[in-house]
Amino acid sequence: MNRAVATRLLAQRLTDEVVVTNLGQATIDLQQHGDRPLNCYTFGSMGQCSAVGLGIALARPDVRVVCLDGDGSLLMNVGVLCTAATAAPPNLAIVVWDNEAHQTTGGQATATAFKTSLAGLARGAGIAKVIEPANEEELAAAFDRILAEDGPFFVAVKVDKGFAAGALDRDVIGFKLRFMQALAALPIRR
Amino acid sequence: MSDPRWSEHVADILRRNGIRLFATVPDYIVSQVLEHLWADRDCTVVTACREEEGLGILSGAYLAGSRGALLMQNSGLGNCVNTLASLNTAAQIPVVLVISHRGDLGEFNPAQVPMGQATERILAALDIRCVVPHTVDELEAQADGLIELAYTRSLPVAFLLPADLTGGRPDLTRGEG
Repeated sequence: MNRAVATRLLAQRLTDEVVVTNLGQATIDLQQHGDRPLNCYTFGSMGQCSAVGLGIALARPDVRVVCLDGDGSLLMNVGVLCTAATAAPPNLAIVVWDNEAHQTTGGQATATAFKTSLAGLARGAGIAKVIEPANEEELAAAFDRILAEDGPFFVAVKVDKGFAAGALDRDVIGFKLRFMQALAALPIRR
Repeated sequence: MSDPRWSEHVADILRRNGIRLFATVPDYIVSQVLEHLWADRDCTVVTACREEEGLGILSGAYLAGSRGALLMQNSGLGNCVNTLASLNTAAQIPVVLVISHRGDLGEFNPAQVPMGQATERILAALDIRCVVPHTVDELEAQADGLIELAYTRSLPVAFLLPADLTGGRPDLTRGEG
């Protein structure tokens, strides 16, 4: 699957959900194909995308949170799957773009290019709702489900290697402030 | 002689400053604080697998409007260095670090000593404002101001808790600690 196409499939379904993106390709793709104030981009902390999303989900249980993580980054802090499974916020979905490579540093293979299954890791961590969409149609159905049904969800998506089109906008503080204001402006639903 | 109520003071300081979300990789010493937080229905304690993961969780929670504190041993500070720099400092996301100081006066485990001796210099290298209260009175005198500074400056701050405050960790089990 093409990651930009997959990103658009999510972006076109969004209303008032938070999306947290992994540094590098996932952030560029969402900036290019679905920039909006409720996007929480990460820039420099490899391995922290899903942890940041878990924290948002815990602090705002009334808001659905979708993480767009990467295979290399998730593997760096894979314990977060155990923490997410244990805390089990129903408003959290962790989506991983798995291109079996450290794309941003030049495409070096990750463990998922060989023996490792991210979906298997998520199941082993204790996340019950694990989806492995095999094509765009199944991915669209997965997005419809994670945006409607209680989680936590883990969605492992095999995507093509390759750099995102466009340049990364690195306004770290500006995007942070925009996100905080947008989320604070969402009335808390009980 | 350590005041046995030190841990209750730490828990109360955090709560009276509006902190209700806590992340931890526990050790013998910070667990004494966690006992008070676990017993409080208004508090949420998330046990992370690794300390830097706790920083990610608390950073997300801050962006969503909640204050957070990370309770860990100073060995965990070593696991946090890049995240403190590239996430909390770069994006100006405050967090309160509560760090038990192993590897200093009275340490029995040689493996704790190198990190124990490096701890204050690591915090200084990261430009993290730190207090080292040796008594409950010193803790109470500095605590509210330190936490206020974190949110004024929008950066991490640290309580480094030495053995003379906490009583340290007794070598009762002959195990690793």
